[in-house]
Formats: sequence, C-alpha cells, structure tokens
Amino acid sequence: MASAQTPAVIMDNGTGLTKLGFAGNDSPSWVFPMAIATSVASSGNKPAAPTKPSFRASTTASSTSSISGGNLSTGINKRDMADLDFFIGDEALEAAKGPSYSLSYPIRHGQIENWDQMERFWETSIFKYLKCEPEDHYFLLTEPPLNPPENRENTAEIMFESFNCAGLYIAVQAVLALAASWTSSKVTDRSLTGTVIDSGDGVTHVIPVAEGYVIGSAIKNVPLAGRDITSFIQTMLRERGEKDTSLRTAEKIKQQFCYVCPDIVKEFNKFDSHPDMFAKYMVETVSQRKIEVDVGYERFLAPEIFFNPEIASSDFLTPLPTIVDQCIQASPIDVRKNLYKNIVLSGGSTMFKDFGRRLQRDLKGLVNERVHSSERRSGTKSSGVQVQVISHKRQKNAVWFGGSLLAQTGEFRGYCHTKRDYEEYGPNIVRSFSLFNAV
Amino acid sequence: MLQLEPQNPLIKESFTTVLDKEYAPISLDRIITDFDFTSYKISTPTSKTTILFSISIKCWKDLLNYGVLELVHSRYSQYPFITIDDRATQDPGYDLSLIVDLQAYHQVIDSVNVDELIEELSLLKRNCFAAPFLQAFNRYQDLSQNVKIDPNNLYGEDSQISSNEQVLKLDYRDAESIYIKPSHDRVTVIFSTIFSDEIDKVFSKVFLQEFSDARKRSIQKAPQVINSHNEVPLEIKHLVHDPDNKDKVYITFVLFPRHLNTEEHKWNSITHIQLFRSYFHYHIKIVKCYLHQRMRFRVNTFTKILNRARRDVDEEEMRAERKTASGRRFEQRV
Ligand SMILES: Nc1ncnc2c1ncn2[C@@H]1O[C@H](COP(=O)(O)OP(=O)(O)O)[C@@H](O)[C@H]1O
Ligand SMILES: [Mg+2]
Repeated sequence: MASAQTPAVIMDNGTGLTKLGFAGNDSPSWVFPMAIATSVASSGNKPAAPTKPSFRASTTASSTSSISGGNLSTGINKRDMADLDFFIGDEALEAAKGPSYSLSYPIRHGQIENWDQMERFWETSIFKYLKCEPEDHYFLLTEPPLNPPENRENTAEIMFESFNCAGLYIAVQAVLALAASWTSSKVTDRSLTGTVIDSGDGVTHVIPVAEGYVIGSAIKNVPLAGRDITSFIQTMLRERGEKDTSLRTAEKIKQQFCYVCPDIVKEFNKFDSHPDMFAKYMVETVSQRKIEVDVGYERFLAPEIFFNPEIASSDFLTPLPTIVDQCIQASPIDVRKNLYKNIVLSGGSTMFKDFGRRLQRDLKGLVNERVHSSERRSGTKSSGVQVQVISHKRQKNAVWFGGSLLAQTGEFRGYCHTKRDYEEYGPNIVRSFSLFNAV
Repeated sequence: MLQLEPQNPLIKESFTTVLDKEYAPISLDRIITDFDFTSYKISTPTSKTTILFSISIKCWKDLLNYGVLELVHSRYSQYPFITIDDRATQDPGYDLSLIVDLQAYHQVIDSVNVDELIEELSLLKRNCFAAPFLQAFNRYQDLSQNVKIDPNNLYGEDSQISSNEQVLKLDYRDAESIYIKPSHDRVTVIFSTIFSDEIDKVFSKVFLQEFSDARKRSIQKAPQVINSHNEVPLEIKHLVHDPDNKDKVYITFVLFPRHLNTEEHKWNSITHIQLFRSYFHYHIKIVKCYLHQRMRFRVNTFTKILNRARRDVDEEEMRAERKTASGRRFEQRV
C-alpha cells in the first residue's frame, strides 16, 4: 500500500522522448529517448539451442551478487533469455551502435504500438530509473487525443497485473498542457478551456478543449514536428558540405541557434548586411579535436516550415496559423471565443524564440480579415475577437508539469482507480476517469 | 541489465552537476524517492550555494536505536564542507540532513576525491540501513572470541548462549520486517515479506526454491538460504505478532565467517542483503512481463492460424445467408 507520503509517479511517454518524475517537482527527473534496444537474437526465429543461462546478465557481477542471482531453470532456451536482454533510453542508443542489438520506438504517432516493448520499457523505468516499488505509488500516465479505449485497457492491464501499482490515472496530454499554463501570469482564470498546440518529435496536434473535454471532431494533425526540422537542418548542412552533418549536430544546432523571424525576406537581408548573424557551432569529439560547423540561414528557415510548409514538404502545404484557425472554426460556436483567447503552447518543438509571437500575429491577421469582411457584408460593427497565444516557462515539458501539478493535490488519489477497483470491475473501469476541476 | 544498483541514480546525477567545478549555482527544490518508503529532498532554502540534502526512512526510529547517527557521522564528517543535521531541523518531515556548503567545497576542491564523494552521497540509504547490520557483525565478533567452539556440537546447532542473543528488528515496510541475529559462528538475517497478489505468491515460491537450490549447484560461496512459507522461523518466533498471516513469507540468510571476515566482504553482504526485497519483487515482475510477452506471441500465432482457416465469403453467399431475427430467409427478387 502507498503511504500518505509517497509522491505519485508521473510518466509522459511521447513519440520521441519519455519524461519521468515525481509529483511536486517542477521538472521531470528523467528525460530520455523513447527507445528500446532489444537483442537481435530475440527477434529472429532461430532454432533454440539448449544452454544453461544465468539469471545474472552482467558479467561484472561480483561474487556475492549471487546472493540474489542464482540460476533460473535450466530448461529455458537461448531465444527466451534474449527477451530479457534489452536497454532503454540513452543506453539503448548506445547499445544499438553495436551489431547485437536493434533499436525500436514502441510509440508511433503518440500511440503505443508494441506492447511487449512498452511493458519492458515501463518495468525498467520504474525499477531502475525511478527506484520505485510500484505497489507503493500512485501513477499518472498520459495519452494522446483520441486514444482508443482498448489502449487504455491494455495500459491498465500492465500497470495493475504486471506491476500491482497502487492506483492509476490516465490523463489526456492536452488537458495537462492547459493545466500547466496556469503558471503563466497571462492566465487569469484557471479554466480548462483553450486550444492546445502540442508539437513534439513526431507530430504536431492542434486540440481544442472545452471545460476539460477534448472536442474530438475538431482536432487537427500537422505532419511536421521536431524530427522534420532536424532533418531539414541536416539537409542544409549537407548541401553546404559541412564537416559534420550528423543528426546529433543538427539537433544541437536546432536547439541552440534556431528562432522564428517576423519576415523571411527581411531576415535574409539582415543576414547579408550583418555577417555576425552567422554562427559557429563547435562539435566536441572524443579525441578532443574540435570541429567547427557554420550555421547560416537555417537559423530562421528551419522553424519557418511551420509557417511556410512548402519549403520543406511537397504534400503538406497549410501553414500552422491557418490550421489553428480551421480547428477553432470547426468547434462549437459558443466556445470559439474562449478558444481564441487561450491558445497554449506545449512540447519541445514550440521552444523556438518568438514562436508564440509569430503565431499570434499571423492568426490575428486571419481573424481580423474575416471579421472585416463580415462587417462589410453585414454593415454592422463587431466587437472583435481577442487572440492570445500563451508561452510560459514550463512549456517544454508542459504535459509532464501539468501532471505534476494535478497529482500533488490532496484530491488526486480520489480520482484514481485502485488495484482493488480493477480486480473488482475489470479493465474496462479505466475507460473513464473523472475530470479534475480547478485546483 | 537486470541488476538493481544500490546507488540512487538521481542523487548521483544531481550531485555530479552540483559538485562540478564549473557549476553555476541555481535554486533547487526536488524530491527523489527510493525503495522501502525512502525519500530524499535536495533543496537550497537559504542560499544557492548551500545544498540541503535530506532523507526520510520509514524505519528511522529503529535505525536510531542501532546507531545510525554514529555511522552517518563516521562516513560523512571526513568532509569539512558537509554539516550533519541529526534531526533535519530545516526540513520538516525528514529525518536527517546533510548540508553541503559549496563555497567551502570550492576552497578545498583539489583535495577532494569527487567521484568517491558523489558515490558516498548516492549511497546514503544503504549507509543508513547498514547500522543494524554492523552492530550485529560486531556482536558476532565479540561472541566468536569469547565462546569456545564446543567440540561435541558436531552439527553446528545453536548453542545455549547464542539462542538467547537479542535479535535486531527493523520494521522497514508496513508489515514487513528484517530480523538480524548474531551468534558466535554466524549472523542470521531473516526477511519477512508480503505478496499481495496471488500470482506473485506462486512465483515467489518457485523463486525461493531456486535460491535454496542454487547453492547446491554452482554457487558455493553464496550464503545459505532457507525459506519457510507460512511458518515463522524459530529464531524470531517471540517477535512476530501475526504468526497466522498466510500472505507472509520468511526468508532466512545465514552469513558465515567468510562473509564477514573483511570490511569489504561485510559491506558487500550488507549492500546485497538490504536490496534483497526490492530485487526479489523486481524479478517476479520481470517474469510476469516475460510471460505476458509469451502469451501475446501465442495469441498472435493462434489468431493467424484462425484467420487462415476462415473461408472468404463472397457477396452472393452473403446475401443467401441473410436472415431475419426469427430465422426466416429474405426472398431474393431479381
Ligand atoms: N529548445 C528546443 N528548441 C527546439 N526544439 C527542441 C528544444 N528542446 C527540445 N526540442 C525538440 O522537441 C522534441 C521533443 O519534444 P517532446 O514534446 O518531448 O516530444 P514528444 O512528446 O513527442 O516525445 C524533439 O524533437 C527535440 O528536438
Ligand atoms: Mg508529448
């Protein structure tokens, strides 16, 4: 049983990064790639060779570690043992450099695709990274918008049956992002109504939320996100023939140097008249040798693909502000006003400097145009629409932070389903969770 | 890979950052937890260069009786920039604080083995839990010097003197305890643990059998493990309040002189034994995950076979098959 003191565990498993930590903290304890490296032997269907495996995998185990090690049954074949041989996160990326492991990402487009891998990913996250006995903690997990209820049930099955966790709450990421925006001074009423722009590694979602409920029919997906910006930068580096064009370098350049500009043409001119706008990125190599990479127009061009998608993609051409406008227009008329007033940013790929300002300006332009044309047609004066995009300090891991805020309240445990509930009613109890009201 | 480390990785990471030469002080306030209802807090309530590192442990009261404060002082007071607050006066709800003064640290930074210090800080929980073990080990040493080995006791049964020896008890979780009993030729450590889940209970039996058998097979150096499912071991019979609890499992480790002869062996034994419960539960969970994986695989193969067996029904047949609720066919008029 969880004692009154043990903090809840917040796990936000995104497409690209996993954010793990404890309720009450203001940033996640762990942020690492949502990757798992599995032994190549476990994926092939080779005939099983009888071996005498040891339950201790590490060869460096000291002699006394056998106190708790000991041989498991001898009847297990090699392939089965290979299933126990895996790494997650940064260790997985490291292991996958060798020939004996293959790398996979169990989450695609925000949804869990491979449950075997996900179960192992959680097991290691909980025991090895967070050092938690799941029986002692309540858990808050996050899910993308429109997650099928079957996925929730599968998640509950793993959390309760494999791990016996004390209690579970599954929250919609967009709702948590709204809660996280309460830390901004611009937010005056702590409502759960607003438009969330969640841009992570794999996808960008635009999600209208009214009083804590996602307006599913109006959700819009943009197939451009962090990964595409990084590869755009990488292409530019390659075309110029820079000395280092690795994904890692492109990623670093993106995070350190990129920003959103008000106008591309002016920005090109600015670069040409001010050579100091060109930056240099130092790649640290293992051998202490420094490689210098020039950083040029990609500083503002890369994030520009949100606003002018045609520079990077040939099949998706709608700018983000237009998508946001369409999304709000597709929502019920009585909430539109509040959706325009509270547009909240969330996720790593909204971190570019001035991203929010540009979005607000472009969106305002679209809205005002519509208001004017309707005024001209009807001949009456409209009261106008307030458009406000909210950036805040916790934006990068907003989903995680929102979870931390909600799970540290005294009421949180009351909203969770417990292991007892699960055993009594079965997995379908997690199809619904009561909603958090204002804190 | 499937090993649990005794160090807390988050403490390690925090102090690796904080104790770095180039660290630019920021204000900190973070909670970290560990197994067995242990939590830590790293914060900077007074100034950014004074790190308050507090720990709370569920069985702190027991540990106090077994000399945890002396032990903590002996391990951390060698660092002049660390102050030990025995009662965590600045952090209500916590049991003990270490106050790291970064300014003082930077003055002596060249004489400090930083890696060792970080390691030592990340082992705070283990170090606290070591107190009763060390006390029992010392008692064993006293006893072994004073008690002559009885030449008639060929079977190594407990002698009269040591069976009256006091048992050190740690209520490390809600209803689970560790009992440590020193005697003149061994130290016996008994764990009680509870499996709330029925499936876990079954696995635990299999596992424990393996632990006992492991020694027979290959790992001679491992300590003897005796497990008794619902029966309370003789040594602690008088200490257990709920002898009829059917969910409780008792596991006995017998540490022999070879596990206790050097400082290194002693600490090694402590490190592994105090992690045992978490390790045990972790491995049962690994096995469950592993079985689920096999089951999913099975179900998938069966589904594939079933799908292959399904006959494609064409449009014509479909129409012929259509029936009303009462079972009557539709009349097809063309
Ligand atoms: N400061 C930054 N500037 C720009 N992009 C960033 C920054 N920090 C992180 N990112 C990008 O954000 C993405 C991860 O965002 P996140 O919201 O965690 O994604 P997800 O939830 O989909 O895993 C990565 O593509 C990463 O490169
Ligand atoms: Mg995300």
